[in-house]
Parts: sequence; C-alpha cells; structure tokens
Amino acid sequence: MEYNGGSVIAMVGKGCVAIGSDLRLGNQALTVATNFEKVFPVTDRIYIGMSGLATDVATLREQFRFRVNMYTIKEEREIEPESFAHLVSSTLYERRFGPYFIEPVMAGLWKTQAGEYKPYIAAADLIGCLNFAKDFVVAGTASEKLFGVAEGLWEPDLEPEDLFETISQTLLNGVDRDAYSGWGAVIHVILPDKVITRTLKGRMD
Amino acid sequence: MASDGGAYSYSLTVFSPSGKLVQIEHALAAVAGGTTSLGIKASNGIVIATEKKTSSILIDDSMLDKVCVICPNIGIVYSGMGPDFRVLVAKARKSAQAYWKIYGEYPPTRVLTHEIATVMQQATHSGGVRPYGVSLLVAGWDVNRGPSLYQVDPSGSYWAWKASAIGKNMVNAKTFLEKRYNDDISLEDAIHTALLTLKEGFEGQMTEKTIEIGVVTVPTPAEIDAERMAGPNDRPKPTFRKLSEEEVRDYLAL
Amino acid sequence: MECSFALTGKGYVLIAADTTAARSIVKMKIDEDKIKSLGPHLLMAYSGEPGDTTQFAEYIERNIRLYQIRNLYPLRPPSAASWIRRALADSLRSRKPYSVNLLLGGYDTSNHTPSLYWIDYLGTQAEVPFACHGYGSYFALSLLDRYHDPEANLEEGLAVLRRCIDEVSKRLVVSPGKYRVKVVDKDGIREIEF
Repeated sequence: MEYNGGSVIAMVGKGCVAIGSDLRLGNQALTVATNFEKVFPVTDRIYIGMSGLATDVATLREQFRFRVNMYTIKEEREIEPESFAHLVSSTLYERRFGPYFIEPVMAGLWKTQAGEYKPYIAAADLIGCLNFAKDFVVAGTASEKLFGVAEGLWEPDLEPEDLFETISQTLLNGVDRDAYSGWGAVIHVILPDKVITRTLKGRMD
Repeated sequence: MASDGGAYSYSLTVFSPSGKLVQIEHALAAVAGGTTSLGIKASNGIVIATEKKTSSILIDDSMLDKVCVICPNIGIVYSGMGPDFRVLVAKARKSAQAYWKIYGEYPPTRVLTHEIATVMQQATHSGGVRPYGVSLLVAGWDVNRGPSLYQVDPSGSYWAWKASAIGKNMVNAKTFLEKRYNDDISLEDAIHTALLTLKEGFEGQMTEKTIEIGVVTVPTPAEIDAERMAGPNDRPKPTFRKLSEEEVRDYLAL
Repeated sequence: MECSFALTGKGYVLIAADTTAARSIVKMKIDEDKIKSLGPHLLMAYSGEPGDTTQFAEYIERNIRLYQIRNLYPLRPPSAASWIRRALADSLRSRKPYSVNLLLGGYDTSNHTPSLYWIDYLGTQAEVPFACHGYGSYFALSLLDRYHDPEANLEEGLAVLRRCIDEVSKRLVVSPGKYRVKVVDKDGIREIEF
C-alpha cells in the first residue's frame, strides 16, 4: 500500500454522493507522476476509486470495465450500486490467496420505486470484505488522517456544493499530513442528472 | 432404420439434407407425449400449473415434484422426461446460487432462462449426448422486468409468453387459453383459468394430489425498496411459491 | 548503474539510455543499445535484469511488428503502452516475472501529439511529461521539474537532457559513462550524436 502511495475518499450527501482521490504516483518516497487519477466511472451514476499498488489499480480498472460491460450486455440494463459492490467484492475474493493490493471505494446513486435517488457508498479491503457506511469511507496511505478530518467536517444531508466543499477540504487537509499522498486532487460529485468533476490544487510539494 | 430421418436419425450432430436435426424433433415428440403444463401471466402475477400423473396408485405421490423452486424469485414446471428435468433443476439452482455469490442478489428471470437454454442448446451440438427431452415454463419476478413467463424447448430456443401450454394437448390448451386470455386478468382469475384449461384434457379426477400450482406475486414498491435496503443477514422475501395442497383444494372447490 | 531519461518537447520525444552492460561490478560492454524502435514512430528504452531485458524487449518488438503486419498500420502510442503494461502486469503474477523497466516515447501521427509513458516492472503505467529510471532519477527528476518545458524546441530539449546527464555524471558514484540518445517526431526516429 505504501509502495505507490495514494488515497481515496467517498462521502454521502443529500440526494448526491461525492468521491475523490489525490493525484500522486510514487515509487516509495520518489514521486513519479502528479497526474495519476485513482477514481474511474463505472456507469453514469457509479464511480469506483482504488488506492494501493498502481499496477493493480490499472489491472482491476480494466477487469471491472470488462465485467460491467458483460453485465450490461447480458442483462440489458445498467448495473446498480449494490450489485456492483458485490461484483467488486467477489472479484477481489477470487484472489483470496494471492490478492490484488488495492482497497476499493465505491460511490453511486440508486433509484427508489418512487423515482427519487438515494446515495450509496461502500469500501472493501484487499480481499473484498465490504464495508457499507452511512456517512463516509476512506482508503489509502492517508486513511487514518482522512478518517479524523472527515469525522470532524462531515454532517448529514449536505447539498451538492456543500458536499463538494466538505470532501475537498477533508481530502486536501488529510493528504497534507501524508508524505505518500498529495499533489492535488480530483473530486466527482454524482448527482441524478450529471456528475460535477473538479481538479484541485493542493500543496504541490 | 427410423421411418422419417433415415440415416440421420442417430448422429445428433449431423444435419439431414433437408436441414433438420431430427434428434431435436424426436425430443419435441417426447415433450408432446408428456403431461400437460401451462403458465398464465396475470396483471399482478403469474401462475404455472401442471397435471401430476402416476403410473400406479401404489406410488407415494407426495414425493413427486413437478413445479420446482429455483430461487426465491423463480420457479419452473416441465412437460416431458422427469429425470432430464431433475438434472436441469439442479443446474438451474446451482447457476442461481453462483449468480447470488457474485452479485448478492438472485438472477433476473431472463438471465436464468438464458442460462438454462444455453445448457439445453449445448446438448444439441455436443458429441455423445442427446437433447434434453423436456420443455420448460419458467416463471419469475425481478425489479427490472417485473413478472415474466418464458418457455424453453429442447432445441434451446426460448420465448416470453403471456400464456402458454406444453405437453400433451398443448394445441387444444393453447387454443383454449387464446379464447380466455385478456391482458388485465387478475392472478386469482388466472389460477381458475389455469385449472379450467387443465380440466379440458384431464384424464381422471382433478384433486390436490393430481394438480400442482406455483405462483409469482408482485411485491409492492415499498417492499421492493425495503428489500434493497435490507442488511446482509436479511433473507429475501420470496416472490415465487408453490401452493400447498390445502390451497389447491380450495381453488378446485370453487 | 543503469540510467535512462526521457522528455517531451514541442512535437518530439527525446529518449536517452546509458550504454553499459554490467555484470556485478564489472563493465562487460560499453556500446550496448538499450533503446529499441518498435515502429516508425515508437521508441522504447529498457533496463533491469540482464537477460530479461533483451528477451522481453524482443518479445514486445516482435508483437508490435506483428500487429503492424496484420493490420497494415502501426499501434498508436497509447494502445502500445497499454498492451505492454498488460504484458508486464500478467508477467508479474506468473511463475517467473520479467523485471524490466521501460520508457515508451511515441509520436502519434493521427493527432500530431508526442507522448511519453513511464512503465515499471510491476506494470505500473503513467503518462508523463518527463521520466527516468534507475539511480539517475534521484538527480534528474528535480532538474526536469525546474527546467522542463513542453513547448521547448529540440535544441532546448537536448540542453535540458545534457544538464541531467552532466548532473548524474557529477554526483552519482556509479555513474555510467556514455549515453545513446534517440528522438521521435513527425519524421520518424533518429539517433542523435551526443
């Protein structure tokens, strides 16, 4: 987990969710790239972030894209956040005794029968043990710090813009205290009809 | 040499010059000789029903199951060869559980039907095997498509139906269903229509011992949402169930 | 010790790699070419475990060539990078992984963009404006942070590369003596006398 560094976070808002990552790619203490995004779209309303070994981040991103595409074709529908979380979990558990070294964080919206959208976030460990949270989930080398800041800043029912501010401050201040994460961040706020993506500058050192 | 297919009757993987795979047609003949089964899609659910026939009164018919639960939202019934059906049920159940292990929910009806149909199709172009001698009616409910009823044939082809019948008397039963069916039939009415249709070609007495019925019920929007928010230890509420002998008796009495 | 550098500029990618083949503390050869041409507009510098490097580089070279023969057009740099990354990532979890680090520089003739990929033996891939492998990276990266300009012309780019190589020669105890420098741009691949 410390080999390449990096951190990911997701938060619940009111009818929206946010997910973000830092941009550093390192080789132990040496920074190799400062544009390495760790959050990827799965559907229009689901994103997955992965922290950990960068080669596995890329491999699993491809793996998930493959499996979600196959799901969409076979089932003639888009995957829902709960099903995707289980898919992530079972994909990781397939390698129980030779795991991919990543910790995934998922964020999405699901539609109730009444037609409104409810937030959904989840995280897992490297062998796919799911953790469903009602507030926020974190992963990566700055996870301890992120837990602390998020615990202090997060509150229920944040509107999209407030949620963006909360997750941005949490992530930027969290990674500032971590040598393995940082170099700016990218945040996605997922709303029922669109996704707001913003790239942030942090302490660029 | 078989009367119709000539030399092409035996090897399954060889087309006859007319473009037929005669073994599949023989399998359909086996289905047509089996007891009648039918399914009707109602506005608020589905009913599948079949006649249960035993060759001797000495057989303990409480052991026989022709309507089978595959997973909490899907059930199937068959016409044709019992042992072949049993194998398919085992495969279908296994496939449903494998799906659950990956996605944390049971498969939609169409996906499971597709899976069963693939197994049956495989038997039409693999060496050393014969086609399954059954036709199936698959009834299930899922969030995506609601209640749906499918028929699968030995060739591996499958279609969605509003109402269908398979097995002995299927032609008559289908004509009967065509006359009785309308799009806003209720589940209760559909069950009665199912029983009336079976009665048409029934030999002997229709009792709770000689009839099997399975129903799909549609959950309310509130129930659907509750299901999605359920924790990992909550078991799904079944949308498919078999009617008990008492329930069947009550429907027959009406 | 092995060092390779690469940087992008206005319409080109420069790649430099040292020319020593060492075994333990002994220099066996001082004119080894560690930059392969994978196509008309694609360069790859490779370093790492001796043996693995040549084997893997040839495997990549032949497969990229095969693609070009089959499809009558070469693989574009981003696709080539992804394919090579996957080859390394698959190898990593095999019985005997290749330990080869790569710098992949290419010029995409369809949209006229130069691109540079940093790939390590784990299958980690990053698209970067400049990159290094080996001990040289500890000196060169900070210089490149300061002096790299993506809009620089070839002459300016070479001057920055010169700075990096000179710094490594000056400060690194086990610095290599000679480098080979290649450039890829709209006209293809050329070697530059350095």
